[in-house]
Amino acid sequence: MKRKLISLLCLALIALAGAFGQTKKVELKFAWWGSQVRHEATIKVIELYQKLHPNVSISYEFAGFDDYWMKMTTMAAGGQLPDIMQQDYSRITEWQSRNLLEPLDPFVQNKTINLSDVAKPILDSGTINGKLYAISAGSNSYAMMLDVDAFKKAGIPLPSQDWTWDEFEKIALQLHEKLGIYGIGGGFEVDELAWKANYLSDGQFLYSADGKSLAYKDDALLVNFLKMLQRLIKAGAAPTYQEYMSSFGGATGNVQMDAIVTGKSAIEAVWSNQVVTVATAAGPGRNFAVVHIPRHKKTGLPGNFLKPSMFLSITSQSKNKEEAAKFIDFWTNSVEANLILNAERGVPISAKVREALKQTVSPINKVVFEYMDRVAKDAAPTPPPEPARHAEIRANVYVPLIREQVFYGVLTPEEAAKQLRIQATEILKRP
Amino acid sequence: MKKRATTSASAGRQRLDNLAGYLFISPWLFGFLALTVIPIIASIFLSFTNYDILSPPRWVGLQNFKKMFFEDPRYWKSVRATLYYALTAVPLRLIVALSVAMLLNTSRRGVALYRALFYVPSVVGDSVAVAVMWRQIFGGDGLVNAFLRLFGLPGKRLWLADPQFAIWTLILLAAWQFGSAMLIFLAGLKQIPYELYESADIDGAGPVRKFFSITIPQLTPIIFFNLVMQTINGLIVFTPALIITNGGPLDTTNFYALYLYKRGFENFQMGYASAMAWILMLVTALLTLVIFKTSSRWVFYESEVK
Repeated sequence: MKRKLISLLCLALIALAGAFGQTKKVELKFAWWGSQVRHEATIKVIELYQKLHPNVSISYEFAGFDDYWMKMTTMAAGGQLPDIMQQDYSRITEWQSRNLLEPLDPFVQNKTINLSDVAKPILDSGTINGKLYAISAGSNSYAMMLDVDAFKKAGIPLPSQDWTWDEFEKIALQLHEKLGIYGIGGGFEVDELAWKANYLSDGQFLYSADGKSLAYKDDALLVNFLKMLQRLIKAGAAPTYQEYMSSFGGATGNVQMDAIVTGKSAIEAVWSNQVVTVATAAGPGRNFAVVHIPRHKKTGLPGNFLKPSMFLSITSQSKNKEEAAKFIDFWTNSVEANLILNAERGVPISAKVREALKQTVSPINKVVFEYMDRVAKDAAPTPPPEPARHAEIRANVYVPLIREQVFYGVLTPEEAAKQLRIQATEILKRP
Repeated sequence: MKKRATTSASAGRQRLDNLAGYLFISPWLFGFLALTVIPIIASIFLSFTNYDILSPPRWVGLQNFKKMFFEDPRYWKSVRATLYYALTAVPLRLIVALSVAMLLNTSRRGVALYRALFYVPSVVGDSVAVAVMWRQIFGGDGLVNAFLRLFGLPGKRLWLADPQFAIWTLILLAAWQFGSAMLIFLAGLKQIPYELYESADIDGAGPVRKFFSITIPQLTPIIFFNLVMQTINGLIVFTPALIITNGGPLDTTNFYALYLYKRGFENFQMGYASAMAWILMLVTALLTLVIFKTSSRWVFYESEVK
């Protein structure tokens, strides 16, 4: 009995000592969404940071996109938000308006976060009402990924940066005729391309500045684009929507199932940070090039803009904001960390890091880096972050109307575009 | 147990016993209150608000219901899909369940094994794993198409992306998961007095006549029970639609519960989702009531025989 008591006492002492040791440690929590590749790389960076800063211990939480937002929303309601959270371009306005995010300007001014190597437009994307709330975790842009070998085989020269949608259609048809494969893969009717980029290339934004109405003038651009896709499908130069959904990853959004991976198409629309994933899935011995989204006129704007693929921000519920800021600085400026992250969240925003990475990354990574350099010089003006109701409009209006009913042949492009305008306006108008 | 005199001491004892009893069920009671009763009550309130979790609920009166009934075309599509599913999948499942139950209602050797085997799909029934398997089977390069090709048929149809067929893959899945209904039927079949069949034999009745004049009438209480349970299950179907088709194509499998979930947990419109949930609950209750009310006309209870 006595011995038991002593051993118990000892245990309590050890626990106590442990607790004291712990109190000195700074505890941070970091949450993000993403794929398995991203989870592994991010955890490695956290481990690296802990090794360099033994006084900091970082716990983390990750999930897929939808689950992540469910979790964060619940945590916000319970005052349990992590110190650092990954933010999305389409949600940041909403979160800031609820005072859930901490302005980062003080940390930038006292040099905790060093942004001297970051271009101003990139910072602007995380700025709301003149205050910086989020720092881009990497830049992104929509891209046309080309199978270089297929182009060579068909004897078609690679398109130039300023190619137009007319040329795009012709090339897609030629590729199909000469090689018997699809010219383009599926998913071109996605809102980012058919709607947003399409109007951006005409100098128009989808939404008004206050986010209360649609800003683009007429439906013709959208209608013409959808008609072009229908022509390509009819000619056999693009997969049907059904085939895209079931065979080429349309339903799951898994780019590793894209038609280009197995050589079934020669042009694919992807985000620039997905190019490496697609190329890796295609395997060694394949050659890919990346060019701008086609435009309406040779001399006009491209549909591209520099989009922050996602942000890091500090929540107002954090108890260790200064330490969280230090981590964001490390994330932004450490070459070592970015080597691990491997531009999977987009091209690093610090010019210095970018230069350092260019020397070491793989050939396909280099293709992406060079593409992003070109986009930085030749892009449409960055549209303001989407209004909070964009998610609802996309899920309940755009996808059922444009993606499904048009491509299942239920509605004509004209009718669908008209409906889209009516229903989206209704949702935006709601108080 | 000994009989206790009603003295004040034993009354105190009684109270103590009660307290102990409540203490024992308190973990369950707590869970029931915190996780079931309170949320249900809260959802009544929420159905009259706009609530996105991030900011406090805002009272909007009947606006959610108005939007649901008059302004949301996807809502009515989901109602139609759900009713279509319930009206096809439930009868189909009951017919399959009864057929298999009758096959197994013999004393042949190995019947117990078959009983267990037929029940397996229902044990793993509503699970994600089965749904994933179903998706593979009906996929473009799946089992069904491979099977069709075996017989020289085209075998190229994209079942899950076809607005006409997608819902039928889910109905088939429901029919295949007949196990629990089958077991209940089997128990019911064993209750039917053997004399009835014997005297029918003597009267020269054939198997079809015996089925319709003895088996079905004798089984009506069981059919009634199964019908109620399966209808409720059919109206709240969720998992297979989420995993196999995710509501597509063209919203043909966007069942009520799935659409409710998407509104609540993907678009964060908890008020709207709560309103939807209450309508579903009312309709389910109403349908069950209708089945109950009509039951006196067609359900036959042994005890009613005078």
